[in-house]
Amino acid sequence: MEEKDFKCLRCGAINKYPYEKGVMMERQCPKCGSNSIRIVKEKDDSKEQKK
Amino acid sequence: MDVGRHPNITLLTYSQVESISGYVGNFHVKVLKKARYVNAEECTACGECAEVCPVIVPDEYQQGLSCRKAIYIPFPQAVPSASIIDMESCLGTNPIACGKCAEKCDKKCIDYDMKDEVVKFDVGTVIVATGMDVYDPAELDEYGYTKYENVITSMEYERLMSAGGPSDGHFIRPTDRKRPKTVGFIQCVGSRCEKIGKPYCSNICCMNTIKDTLLLKDHYPDIEAKVFYIDIRAFGKGFEDLFKRSKEAGVTFIRGIPGEIIEDPKTHNLKVMVEDTTANRIEEHEFDMMVLSVGVTPRSDMPEVQKLLTLSKTPDGFFMEAHPKLKPVDAPTTGVYFAGCAEAPKDVKDSVTQASAAAARAETLLSAGKVKLEAITSTLNQDLCRYCAMCSKVCPYNAFTVDPKSKKITYVEALCKGCGTCAAECRFGALSMKHFTDDQIITQIDAHLAEDPQDKVIVFACNWCSYAGADTCGGARLQYPSNQRLIRTMCSGRVHEKFVLHAFRKGAPMVVVSGCHYVDCHYIDANRWTQKRVEKLWDKFEKWSIRPERLLLEWISAAEGQRFQKAMQDIEELRKKVTKEEIEHTIKVLTEEEEKAKAKKK
Repeated sequence: MEEKDFKCLRCGAINKYPYEKGVMMERQCPKCGSNSIRIVKEKDDSKEQKK
Repeated sequence: MDVGRHPNITLLTYSQVESISGYVGNFHVKVLKKARYVNAEECTACGECAEVCPVIVPDEYQQGLSCRKAIYIPFPQAVPSASIIDMESCLGTNPIACGKCAEKCDKKCIDYDMKDEVVKFDVGTVIVATGMDVYDPAELDEYGYTKYENVITSMEYERLMSAGGPSDGHFIRPTDRKRPKTVGFIQCVGSRCEKIGKPYCSNICCMNTIKDTLLLKDHYPDIEAKVFYIDIRAFGKGFEDLFKRSKEAGVTFIRGIPGEIIEDPKTHNLKVMVEDTTANRIEEHEFDMMVLSVGVTPRSDMPEVQKLLTLSKTPDGFFMEAHPKLKPVDAPTTGVYFAGCAEAPKDVKDSVTQASAAAARAETLLSAGKVKLEAITSTLNQDLCRYCAMCSKVCPYNAFTVDPKSKKITYVEALCKGCGTCAAECRFGALSMKHFTDDQIITQIDAHLAEDPQDKVIVFACNWCSYAGADTCGGARLQYPSNQRLIRTMCSGRVHEKFVLHAFRKGAPMVVVSGCHYVDCHYIDANRWTQKRVEKLWDKFEKWSIRPERLLLEWISAAEGQRFQKAMQDIEELRKKVTKEEIEHTIKVLTEEEEKAKAKKK
């Protein structure tokens, strides 16, 4: 399974977690144990240029 | 045999459940009775048909150690005691191709044109006793199982030792058909191993091996037997005694698991290197035969059974009970019970105990004639419903069915278990939940944030796990900040987006949505919808320039008091960092967004 960067919203740690579109999975921060793990979205350069 | 003869039991063998609809007391079951191609009522199991059958295939019952014919009786005690034709192996339904069995059968039982039959009936309760599979060491070629003939599994060993087995009970090794002098047993093959995704203990293998060694010593006292183990789990009544008897009979138990088996190409003997952790030394052992004590795995067709009855599974793949202590034989779906290894690996005694309990639970329900349902269920207002069908998508119990032609939602309250996910996902306010209505929850938020909202943290906690986790935390006298305000919902799935937004509009600096871990969800998979909702809110917050860090999602189980304490302490630190300006900005943005949404509706 593909791995992507996720950020823990409680402690700010960025870690890689398995990711598959549409598949829900429980993610836990190895540092603080929080489940508030949010995917780090890559910035869309084309949109930035248009702006 | 008794079951087959019982007047009140209809036994459908060689059949497959195709569908189950309805609810407790009214399950409609459709079963596919596969064609046996032999009239089971007329067949006397004389076996003359099998004698003339020219097709020979490996016998599954004998673990492939001997052969059967295409027409056969699956095993000696089979019910019904009648032959069956394996049509995949049979030379053809056309009697011209072969037809020898039909020619031989005096009673004319064989019918090549027999068709599969669909049987429908209604039942009040369902007991799931689908059993288990055993781990196949061929998958990863563990211990050279596919390379070395003298490496066998514990199942194959059972057949070799059985009087009805392929060698008529004479224990022989496969390469030279001679009685072995030394036999080794390796425990935990396919169990307690993270590498192969089976971290659980299979429960039965230790005692099965001890029984096997006793059997071996009983029949052949001169055979040397050694058992390699991680630790022996002889926990049941009389089990320790059996373990002692095995040691007294001369079986050697070595605490250590060999890394690999190497075969001597000339003698076909098997050599293993092992670290004996009790003696603290590396040892080399040579055996004539090696038995792999294979673990228990969930049945391969579990996903189909899971779909049929909307069941949930634990991470190890077995079915999850409604509650591990209070409802150990009940499925989350009312009127469905578990018996045996479908729920977890267990031995005969435990399986019989659970089966008796399941039968008693089912009988209690049936004899009562009526069922007491959950008081906390959802309510549907058909006038407000816009038939978006979201409720049917999110309901873990299939309580909602959509008829696209009539544009009507049918809601069966008897199926509802009260998670409230439907009410949280309904965009039109057509669904609500008894005792946990929107108004009731919003009133609680208002009350909590009536004074000094900037100092409070609103925590939505599910009844079964995180709220109980808070209780555990309190019960253990673990200190956590006193400004956390808990709002209980039956499931985190009930936490509507508008509750979170309302709390922020009222000036809450932080909001926490907490529920069960995925595997513990009391409502099968309702908390997955909670996570989806929170993830959507994080995206919205970012769009509105509100820090997503102010909305947290935490899975806390009932036993995790310390985890609850740590989460609340960390959250308090985060709350302190939320500025007054930030709160004011949030209130302003969310109020504007609310007004925009209201204007749009108009």
